[in-house]
Amino acid sequence: MMRMDVSPSPVLEVTASEPALETSHPARKSSTLWDALAGLTSLRLTVVLFVLAFILVFCGTLAQVDAGIWTVVKQYFRSSYVWIPLQIFVPRSIRVPGSFPFPGGWLIGACLLANLLAAHIVRFRFTWKRSGILLLHAGLVVMMLSELVTGLFAAEGILTIVQGSSSNFVELHDLKELAIIDPSDPDVDHVVAIPESRLKQGGIIQHDLLPFDIKLVRYLVNSDMPRQPGANVSNPATAGDGRTLVAVPRAPVTGTDPEQSGDFPAAYAAFKKKGSGESLGTYLVSSWWSDYLQMHGQDRPQQVTVEDKTYSVYLRAKRVYKPYTVTLKKFRHMHYPGTDIDKSFSSQVRLVDSIRHEEREIEISMNEPLRYAGETFYQSGFLPGDLGTRLQVVRNPGWLMPYVSCLMVAGGMIFHFGLHLNTFLRRRAAQ
Amino acid sequence: MNRFTRYLPGLVVVLALAYLVIHALSTGDPERFHLQGLAGIPVSENGRVKPLDTVARNTLMLLGKRRFFTDAEKRPQPAIRWLMDAMAGKADQHEVFRIEDDQLLRLLNLKPKPLFWRYSPEEIAPRFAALQGQARQALALPENERDLFNVNVLRLYKQLEIYVALRELEPSSLLLVPPRSEDEEWQALRDLAAQIKNNENPAAGAVYHLLTAYADDKPEEFNQQLASYQILLGQRLPDRVAKVEFELFFNRFEPFYSCSLFYVIMFLLVCVSWAAYTESLNRAAFWLGVLTFVLHSWGILARMYILHRPPIINLYSTAIFIGWGCLFLGLTIEAIFRSGIGNAVGAVAGALTSVIAHNLSTDGDTMEMMRAVLDTNFWLATHVVIINFGYAATFVAGIVGAIFILMGVFTRALQRDRWRMLGQVIYGIVCFATLLSFIGTVLGGIWADQSWGRFWGWDPKENGALLIVLWNALILHARWGGMIKQRGLAVLAVAGNIVTAWSWFGVNMLGVGLHSYGFMEGATFWLLTFDVSQLALIGIGSLPLTYWKSLQPAARRGYAYLCSSYWLAAHGKCEDNGSKFAAPVVNSQPTE
Repeated sequence: MMRMDVSPSPVLEVTASEPALETSHPARKSSTLWDALAGLTSLRLTVVLFVLAFILVFCGTLAQVDAGIWTVVKQYFRSSYVWIPLQIFVPRSIRVPGSFPFPGGWLIGACLLANLLAAHIVRFRFTWKRSGILLLHAGLVVMMLSELVTGLFAAEGILTIVQGSSSNFVELHDLKELAIIDPSDPDVDHVVAIPESRLKQGGIIQHDLLPFDIKLVRYLVNSDMPRQPGANVSNPATAGDGRTLVAVPRAPVTGTDPEQSGDFPAAYAAFKKKGSGESLGTYLVSSWWSDYLQMHGQDRPQQVTVEDKTYSVYLRAKRVYKPYTVTLKKFRHMHYPGTDIDKSFSSQVRLVDSIRHEEREIEISMNEPLRYAGETFYQSGFLPGDLGTRLQVVRNPGWLMPYVSCLMVAGGMIFHFGLHLNTFLRRRAAQ
Repeated sequence: MNRFTRYLPGLVVVLALAYLVIHALSTGDPERFHLQGLAGIPVSENGRVKPLDTVARNTLMLLGKRRFFTDAEKRPQPAIRWLMDAMAGKADQHEVFRIEDDQLLRLLNLKPKPLFWRYSPEEIAPRFAALQGQARQALALPENERDLFNVNVLRLYKQLEIYVALRELEPSSLLLVPPRSEDEEWQALRDLAAQIKNNENPAAGAVYHLLTAYADDKPEEFNQQLASYQILLGQRLPDRVAKVEFELFFNRFEPFYSCSLFYVIMFLLVCVSWAAYTESLNRAAFWLGVLTFVLHSWGILARMYILHRPPIINLYSTAIFIGWGCLFLGLTIEAIFRSGIGNAVGAVAGALTSVIAHNLSTDGDTMEMMRAVLDTNFWLATHVVIINFGYAATFVAGIVGAIFILMGVFTRALQRDRWRMLGQVIYGIVCFATLLSFIGTVLGGIWADQSWGRFWGWDPKENGALLIVLWNALILHARWGGMIKQRGLAVLAVAGNIVTAWSWFGVNMLGVGLHSYGFMEGATFWLLTFDVSQLALIGIGSLPLTYWKSLQPAARRGYAYLCSSYWLAAHGKCEDNGSKFAAPVVNSQPTE
């Protein structure tokens, strides 16, 4: 009989001491704006958004089997919507066409933010009991904003330095450029760099500083290292190394590719003399001959000669020049004895900034970066044979935000859950 | 009987302790060769100084998934004997290579040996050329195009290479000779022939004579050499020797093996206590759980002492740690609610993680050196420990959810008090799991920011952790919004098991990203099996409440449908009404 008896359940008491955003209705103001805001505060909406976010993150992870991590980040997480291919859900041996639209990371994030802010504005009342909830949600706002700031403003590049030499530029490996270098000035090289986005458009490229126009015959987003052509392979190149070696297209690199960590594009470009239109030849340029060979301390420029002046042409990672020069004094790479397991890497570098008139000498190692003038230098790799170092240089104005957010959310949760655990245990002890 | 039940918990604990003491003290039979003394000499392998015994056990594990072998008379023999036989060229008849693939067995003209599956080099030798040919073909294929046969051929081929390298005394990673001074490294014996000849390196000479004495079957000379080498080591590397001795004890004591045994006993005790309603069996399970917890903790601490590292350094140690975390939470639940649920959770999680850990330990030494990027005790101690504790908490919530569903649907044991209590447990644990998985995930981001300047890279392992946070947050918000109550909590917590298992193992199988340190074949099958089982539980848990046995009135079961309406109307008020998983509203009869 007792079991039939429906007393006010202790479970309901527990709920009552929960934040209970849905149950405490503020019966104040009734403008349409307020109604709209109140609609935004629903916990059901929160749960729906969590489900959407869950699905998006899951799909964005599966998609990395086929696509590079940065492509996925741009398509799935830093976008307002995404077309998710059905292919990602089945083994790749079975081909499945088709895709479906889905809200992207920025859209879901914005909705969650709106939902959260609306709930706290509409139901704002400060009590000690609710302070944990307020703090942790404020921390979450900081976290979401930090991802936005990172997405919008962060920039990273690779600084490669050969032992004993210096460098004053970083390379952005996910962006390429066609660089045409005029080495005739003994003091400095004059460089015209054509960005990848322009190269992909094709057509004829003209620039005032160049004595020739460039027609893009073919652009390969990713390619194998140029090799001897087989029989019956048509070769568009009529000059340079491309006459004997051809570029073979390759699918864009994915996160799972064990052989390549980034794309190696190649292009066939026809050079025509300005004015006369006289053909200077069609050249093959490949980033294997710049980015890859440079890791081994070499390169293979294509030489285009116009009226006794020879230009060097490269297809290479986009370079960003810096106001400072970094010299690699010593690179150290340790192994555990008797094995090829890496124990540690470190680079003894000297940084000279001619604008800020600063000089620093410091050792950068794994997990111990150098922070300088808003940029951070991390030990990220090394050249084959330990010939030199590769440092990742990152500028992210929002880098401190996650630290703050973590403290706020952790503090808020510990306070809130601690309060409830305490209440619960006291009630249990009383029973 | 009464007295018996009162002393039962004590008796169980005393028996378990006695087992442990006997286990710790047994050092094997006395032998002609003092192999157990040899087992404790320090060597350097894969960059770590360890007892020779560890090398022997791990190599056997790598070849045959066992840490001992059986001799011609089918008697179990210690790994160190196999290692010495192998180095002396006398191990060709020991059956240690595990081959299960039927195609591979046919290739090698071998008869299947069900339940044993182990073969000797001598048995494989006649068809070695065929194996070599197949291995060459397999090696020429790109990694992602190799089928199971190719993979198994390559594995066996590599295992034989390891064996041959041992026989030739030249595995590149095994260095037998200690440094003579601070600025020297460990060295391989085969590089020191000149020094041995000229008597320049006493340690190298001693090791060489040990091996030849064993090979020439001269026990007295062997034992004499061993005794003097031990004295030499004690003078030269006193710190090392002490630590290596400790590791040798750890190897023999096998704390995690005893733990897995205790988990099974604990689970049986809880099951019997539920079936027979004997409280004392449950108390016995609890105290056995406490003892297991102490033992499990000791095992983790011992590994930390040996390695000078925080508890988790690789996939194997996550399994050990998660089992420990689940047991801790289970015992805490038991201490608060005393209903057997906490014991069951701890026992089930402990047993399952033991099995997982065993299967993750077949790749060689589980105490490996950390690659440069992971070489930071601070982040290993914070991010890695917290995130894995978060996994443990999410699993505990999921296991309680599973118990809720099974108990509710198939038994009458889930009456109202217990229904509510389990709801409270799941809710509390999910709160805890949210806290841990969030902090752990963010700390991981901060580590990434410290080491390569990217707080969040949307890397698969990071995404896996984020999914756990999202899932737990979803459960909590659905609960606070009144969309679910106890049953919804249970069902969603079981789904949390799938999410956590995917994050723990699934993302490694995608083979993407910076975190994929564990590659496992065959594990995919088990992960999918686990997922299917959890989906089945979710399906059962989503059955209309009329099918839940615990909600059917005890008498007149034949009229269950009609009668249940009466009970449900009363019950539905404080249960799942209005939720996604709601019971059908059956002819409500207000009883208030």
